[in-house]
Amino acid sequence: MTALPPTAGTHPGRSAGMRRECCMLFVAAFLVGGVYQPLPAAGQSLISRIAAARPGDTVLVRGGVWEGDLVLDQRIALIGVGMPVIRGSGNGSTITITADSCTVAGFVIERCGRMLVHEDAGILVRSKGNRILRNRLRDILFGVYLFRGRGNTIDGNEITGRRHLDVGQRGSGIHVYDSPWNVIAGNTVTDVRDGIYIQNANHTHIERNNVHHVRYGLHYMYADSNTFLGNRFEDNAAGAAVMYSRGIVMRHNVFARNRAFSAFGVLLQDCHGLVADSNIIDDNAIGIFLENSRHGRFRHNIIARNDLALQMFQNADGNTFTENAFIDNLSPLVVVGKRTGSRWSDGGRGNYWSGYEGYDLDGDGVGDVPMRIQNVFHYLEGRNSAVRLFLYSPASQALAAASAAFPIMQLTEESDPHPLMDRERLFTGHAMGRNP
Amino acid sequence: MKTAKRARTDAVATSPIVLIAQRELTITVRNRWTVIMAGVFGVLMLVIAWAGVAAEGFDGMADFTRTSASMVNLVLYVVPLMALVLATLSFAGDRGTTELLFSQPVSRTEVMLGKIAGLFVAIGGAMVAGFIVSGGVVLFQTGTHGIGGFIAFAVMTLLLGLIFLCVGALATMLAGRRPRSFGFAILLWFHFVLFYDLVVLGLASQLRGQSAVTALFLTLFGNPVDLVRVASLIVLDNETIFGATGAALLRFLGGPEVSVLVLVVAAILWVALPLLWAHAVLRSQDI
Repeated sequence: MTALPPTAGTHPGRSAGMRRECCMLFVAAFLVGGVYQPLPAAGQSLISRIAAARPGDTVLVRGGVWEGDLVLDQRIALIGVGMPVIRGSGNGSTITITADSCTVAGFVIERCGRMLVHEDAGILVRSKGNRILRNRLRDILFGVYLFRGRGNTIDGNEITGRRHLDVGQRGSGIHVYDSPWNVIAGNTVTDVRDGIYIQNANHTHIERNNVHHVRYGLHYMYADSNTFLGNRFEDNAAGAAVMYSRGIVMRHNVFARNRAFSAFGVLLQDCHGLVADSNIIDDNAIGIFLENSRHGRFRHNIIARNDLALQMFQNADGNTFTENAFIDNLSPLVVVGKRTGSRWSDGGRGNYWSGYEGYDLDGDGVGDVPMRIQNVFHYLEGRNSAVRLFLYSPASQALAAASAAFPIMQLTEESDPHPLMDRERLFTGHAMGRNP
Repeated sequence: MKTAKRARTDAVATSPIVLIAQRELTITVRNRWTVIMAGVFGVLMLVIAWAGVAAEGFDGMADFTRTSASMVNLVLYVVPLMALVLATLSFAGDRGTTELLFSQPVSRTEVMLGKIAGLFVAIGGAMVAGFIVSGGVVLFQTGTHGIGGFIAFAVMTLLLGLIFLCVGALATMLAGRRPRSFGFAILLWFHFVLFYDLVVLGLASQLRGQSAVTALFLTLFGNPVDLVRVASLIVLDNETIFGATGAALLRFLGGPEVSVLVLVVAAILWVALPLLWAHAVLRSQDI
C-alpha cells in the first residue's frame, strides 16, 4: 500500500477529433500496459488511485475485483485490462461520472443500489462528452443512466438487469434523460424494464443495439430528430414505443416476436414526419400501431406474420406506404375510426400484399386491379375490437368473400391502386437501387 | 384361464349398447357416404399439411402451430357436416330396420347411445386417421414444435364431431321423416357454421361498450362451433391471437388454463344436453 500504481499521463489536445483522441489513448494505454508493474493484491482502493490522478490521466486497471462506488470528478480515462470487476456497495451508483470527457472502458460493473428514484445505476453520467465502451454491466437497476449529459458515447456494452425482480421494479438498460446529441451503439440489453428509455433527448443516434426480453425494447418520448439504424428489438413484451417526437428516421431495424396481449412491433404516437425504411417487422401481435402520427413515410419495410399488420387510428393521417411487403399477416389493417387518409402508393408503385388476388395482364409488375386492403370483417373489427373473437370463423370468411364478390359491401376506402406483384423485386435489383 | 377371459369378453360383448355400437359401426363403414367424407377430410388435411411444408423456406412458418391453425378452418366446415349427415342417415334410416331394432328387448336409450357410440367410432376413426397422416407429414418435415397443441386440437375436433352427432340425432327425432330430417340437418349446419356468427357479428357492430363485449363473450356459448374454434386457437397458437379481446376473454373466463377448461366443459354440455333432450323425446315417441 506504499507506492501508488503508475498512471499514464496522456493529454490529448482538446482540439483533436474524437476518433484521433481515442486512437492516441489506446496506443498510450497499450504502451503503458507493456511496462506495467503488477498491482498489489486486489482490493487495494481504486478510489484512491482515481483521487490521485490528474485531469487527462489514463488509469489502467488489471483483472480482479475492485471496490466500487467510484466518482469520476475529473477528466480521466479508466481502462480495464482483462475485464476487471468493479463491485458497488449496493447503495447508489457503482460509477458516477460528474466530470466531462471521461472514459470508462473494459470493465465488469455490478451491484448498484436498488432505489429507482435515486437513479441507482451501473454507470450514472451527469456530464458531457464521456465514453462508456465495451463494459459488461450486471446486477444493476439502471444500466447506464445519462442525466443531463450531452455528447456522450455508449458503445459496445452488454447490460443485464436483475431478472429476479418484477419488471415494474427494474430500471432501464440505457436511460437517457434530458440529454441531447448522444450516440448509443452496439449495446446488448436484456432483463431490464425498458431496454432503451429516452426522454427529452434530441439528436440521439441509436445504432446496432440488440434489445431482447425486456418490457419495452424502446421507450421513447419528446426526442426529436433521432436516428435508428440496424437495431434489433426482439422477444419483448411490448415492442418499441415512440411517442411525441418529430423527425425520426428508422432504417434497417428488426422488430420481431413481440408477443404479449396487444403487444406491437412499433408503436407510434404523436410522431409526425417519421421516415421508416427497410425495417423488418415480423411475428408481432400488432406490427405497427399508429395513433395521431401524421405524414410519415414507410418504404421498403417487410411486415410479415403479425396477427395484425397495421392498426391505425383515424387521426393517423396522411401517411404514405410504398414498396413495403405485407406478407402472411392474419389481418392487414384495422382502422379505429372511419378512414385514415393514408396513401398506399406513390409514383405508380404500391405495396406487395400476399393476400392480393388480382392479376397483371400487361406484365409491368403492378397489379391491374386495386388491392382492397380491408374486408367487412376488418371493418367490423375496427368498430368493435371484440369482433376479433370471430377470427377464423366461417362467418368472417364468408364476409371476406362477399366483400370481394360484391363491391357494394366495401365499407372502407383503404385501397392500394398499384399493388406490386413480385416481392422479390422489391428487395433486389432496381427497386432497391432507387432507395435514396 | 381361457374360459374366464372369454366370459369377460362375452359380458362386455353382450352389453346391448356395445352390440348396437358394433352393428352401427359396421353399417356406417359400409356406407359409401362415410367413405367419401372420410376420404375428403383426409385428403384436405393432407393438402394443408403439404402446403404448410411447401410454404417453408422464405416464409419459414410451417410449424405445427400455423399449419394446424389452417386446419381449424377445415375442421369447422367439414366435421359438423359429416357428423350431422351421418347421424341423420343413421337415425332416419330404413323404417323396417328401425322398427326391428326398437322391438328388441333393450331400452330405447340404449339403442340411441349404442348408435351414437358406433357412429362416433366411425367418424372418430376417420378424423384420427386424417390427423395422423397430416400430422406425420408436418412432423417428418419440421419437427415436434407445437405438437402438444396439435394433439389437443385433434381431441377437440373429436369432441366437435360428437357434439354434432348428438345434435343430429336429436334433430332427426324432432323432424320425424327422412327427407325433412335431411333438410333440418343442412339447416342446422348453416345455422351453427354461418348464420349464428353472422348474426352475432351484425349485433356486435351495433353495440358499444363493455356490456357489448360481455354479450359477445356469452354468445360463444350458444354455438359449439365457436367454443371449439376459440379453444382450439388458444391451445394452438396462443391466446394473444385475439389481441386485447383475448386478454379480456381470459379474464372473463378466469385465466389461460381455466378458460380452455371452461370452454371444453361448455362443449361437453353441448353433448349432454342434446342427449338428455333426445332421451326425453325418444321415450315418449311413437315409433
